[in-house]
Amino acid sequence: MALIENTPAAIDAVERRSLFERIPAAYWLVGFVLLVMPTFASPFVLFQIFGWTFILGIIALSLMFLGGYGGMVSLAQMTFAGSAGYMLAIFGPSAITDISMNWPWYIAIPLALALAVLFGTLTGWLAVRTAGIYTIMITLAIAAAFFYFTRQNYTIFNGFSGFNGVLPPKLFGVDWRGSTAFYYLTLFWATLCYFAVLYLSRSPFGLALQGVRDNQRRMSALGYNANAHRVAAYAFAALLAGIGGILLTWQSAQISPGTAGIGPAIDILVIAVIGGLRHPVGAFIGAFIYVILKTFALDALVAVGLSGERFQLLIGLGFLVIVFWSPDGILGLWAKWRDSRGKDPLRDRGGDTP
Amino acid sequence: MRRFVDRHPLWSVIIFAVVAVLLWMIFAVWPDWLTDAIGRKKVFLNALFNGITLGGLYFLVASGFTLIFGLMRNVNLAHGSLYLLGGYVGYLTADATGMWLLAFPAAFIVVGAFGVLLQIFVFRRMEGEDLRQTLVTIGISIVMADLMLWAWGGDFYNISPPEWLSGPMQTFFVTSVKRSGELVYMKYPMVRLVIFAASIVVGVGMWLLLNRTRIGMLIRAGVDDRDMLSATGARIQLVFVAVFAFGAGLAGVAGVVGGTFQSVAPGEDVRFLLASLVVVIVGGMGSIPGAALGALLIGLAEQFGSVYFPTYAVVLTFLIMVVVLAFRPQGLMGRN
Amino acid sequence: MNAPAKVSDRLSATGTANALELRNVSKYFGALAALEDINITVRPGERRAVLGSNGAGKTTLFNCVTGDFLATTGNIRFFGEDISEFPPHERIRRGLRRTYQISLLFTGLSVRDNIYLSCVGVSRRRFSFLRPRRDDALMAAADNLVDVVHLTDDRDTLVSNLSYGQQRQLEIAMALAGAPRFILFDEPAAGLSPTERRELVDILNGLPGHMGYIIIEHDMDVALRVAESVTMMHNGRIFKEGKPAEIEEDPEVQALYLGGDDG
Repeated sequence: MALIENTPAAIDAVERRSLFERIPAAYWLVGFVLLVMPTFASPFVLFQIFGWTFILGIIALSLMFLGGYGGMVSLAQMTFAGSAGYMLAIFGPSAITDISMNWPWYIAIPLALALAVLFGTLTGWLAVRTAGIYTIMITLAIAAAFFYFTRQNYTIFNGFSGFNGVLPPKLFGVDWRGSTAFYYLTLFWATLCYFAVLYLSRSPFGLALQGVRDNQRRMSALGYNANAHRVAAYAFAALLAGIGGILLTWQSAQISPGTAGIGPAIDILVIAVIGGLRHPVGAFIGAFIYVILKTFALDALVAVGLSGERFQLLIGLGFLVIVFWSPDGILGLWAKWRDSRGKDPLRDRGGDTP
Repeated sequence: MRRFVDRHPLWSVIIFAVVAVLLWMIFAVWPDWLTDAIGRKKVFLNALFNGITLGGLYFLVASGFTLIFGLMRNVNLAHGSLYLLGGYVGYLTADATGMWLLAFPAAFIVVGAFGVLLQIFVFRRMEGEDLRQTLVTIGISIVMADLMLWAWGGDFYNISPPEWLSGPMQTFFVTSVKRSGELVYMKYPMVRLVIFAASIVVGVGMWLLLNRTRIGMLIRAGVDDRDMLSATGARIQLVFVAVFAFGAGLAGVAGVVGGTFQSVAPGEDVRFLLASLVVVIVGGMGSIPGAALGALLIGLAEQFGSVYFPTYAVVLTFLIMVVVLAFRPQGLMGRN
Repeated sequence: MNAPAKVSDRLSATGTANALELRNVSKYFGALAALEDINITVRPGERRAVLGSNGAGKTTLFNCVTGDFLATTGNIRFFGEDISEFPPHERIRRGLRRTYQISLLFTGLSVRDNIYLSCVGVSRRRFSFLRPRRDDALMAAADNLVDVVHLTDDRDTLVSNLSYGQQRQLEIAMALAGAPRFILFDEPAAGLSPTERRELVDILNGLPGHMGYIIIEHDMDVALRVAESVTMMHNGRIFKEGKPAEIEEDPEVQALYLGGDDG
């Protein structure tokens, strides 16, 4: 019997205060460096390396959310991102004036995200009708369908060439495609999405999702509709992917079938797995590695006497090595190393339920 | 069959009506109003034949995929790469020896052997880890695609059939009637018909092997209940290897067929992987008859789609998949 | 509160419909009949023990009632409502609960989070994106249940670090979440030490009077102390029904069940 009365409020208060203090200096350092990056990094690094990392990270994060917390590995995340990008180009401004409606951003962006979420929900509804490993096949087929459809349809999606000249609005008089502005824009959204997922993982919805992943039958016996949770997870993941998709479209100022093709769909999976599906930060680590490889592999390959075209081989081999030896990705390796060094509060908070 | 009619009277009537209309459209001389409505009969018959023969090709690829999945629960996303590898091996063999027929055993053996290596060095080490196996196959397909691109470049290769098979063959299907009253019969590429016949032979052979032999019983028992199979002793690993080799070999043979029908080129791996996925999703995972039905449906949908609604041909295929998933998630012939 | 209170007292509290009514329920696995033609009526607030040897169909019976399996034939009414075709979660939301013979717990979560999850499951906050606030009512309810099953000291322990007996207690707490009207306990005492069994009997007898249950129990001792009526099952059929004393004395029952096997 308990002799000390500990109210839940008191415990929570203790947890909250100490959590703030328990975050190690390294995390503050990373945050600080990311914030002041534009003072020393070149525009190329800001726009191309980090901008792209954050964008791919957000899309991979949506897969991490589905896969890590929901146990559903979807290959359609790039497709949701692409659909948001397409909707933005169709409703907002682009160089294809015959199709684009040129509506203001405050209508076009929410509409694009809403449609991406709708698309994700429908996909989820289809995918959860079968279980486990089938998901990957169904989402791959849906990704392929979207790719072929956009490539063949000229009235809405403008076929093979897609849309170019899709630019962000000049909000507050800032050119958001300028390297510094774009860096902060993507950093902001990446941070927001990252903490949203982290927060959500301990909310009733997130806990229930992890429960469904671990033991669906038990969750049903607790009153949860497992499939409804899964579909809702798809919807939320599609929202994240949609945000990433809009940023991606702005970065390259264009969207075409190739943006959301089968290759990019698999790349997102590669990124998420390389980083590690167990924690949200894995998505960004994976994206960073991918972007660095994609940007510099050419020079490196040429330097060792191979053709720069062998990038796919490098990525594929890296991916194979990771899945073979560390299924939890880079984070798994990191965790092994951390184990000897005590607990780490940021790694310890979600998705670790076995 | 009887039970199906008893259980789904409405569906039986619909299926019967569709088959009847199809048969009439195939054998009758078309009246003018029908020609006005959907074009000449020759176009229709060609689409039908192309669809069916393409279905045969899809069946060859997908049956190996579904067999491997059914027995080992392994979604082999490198299956398309095995197909493409078979195509290249077949091309090299046919080109070097000048014997088209030799391409088939060569592709079967090389790709089958590759399948054995995959089974032993990859899948056996990760038994029971579905997701990891699937991820590994994705990695393998990325690596293989690039290695093949490295070796053979981006060119299109065509495996040409021998003299006696090339050229058209007169069939007994009437396409139209000349003014003189003379009947015009349809001509169709001989090689496609022969290959289709061969794929039927393969399908029936597989069915017989599965249903009439001891090995087949062992495999079917494994598909139904893997624990039961492991209880029968150590041969399970041998069965796994054999089935994997056979499934991979079939994909290799399909590569030669595909290279004869169309061409061998980068990107075909993804195309045929997707086709196999859709075929087995529609037909039902692990079911050989399901793969046959699914392959036929998808082949027909693709060909009729490309003739009658060219813009949305590929989408039609996926539409079928979505409809099946929505109403019968386990696939047309799949079990609950 | 010790031995079960009078049934009539509790009846008045919960309307007139029977808590659970099974009519001609059968369950076949292929050709194998796991349950055949089961008819059971349980009044609201009634506490019943189901006895029978292994393979008698007791757990299958539970699975059919909760919807883990659909019954092959027959229908099931819960407080007057036909739930035969409902998915499990719909049945649970109507106030039915169960425990599992083999603990199905979330081993990576703490005791309190497990119970919190079961409280949320039958609340409107299932899909809430917001973390529980400090004064969260459901969290308070979870804490309360932690006390009910005597796990107060282990409230923040990870389930994987609990002893077997504690896991069984947690299993019970999860069935008590929300406002259950009827609970199915599947061998809650299996594998417990004598002390733990006493504790279990205390917990069961301490439940509010309107909460009826069916308990599958091999241990006659426990069953008789927590149930006021007994159903004997054998080979998928109901074999005998009656008061504990009658069952205990029945010569057929003794021959079949109590004679050889006492644990």
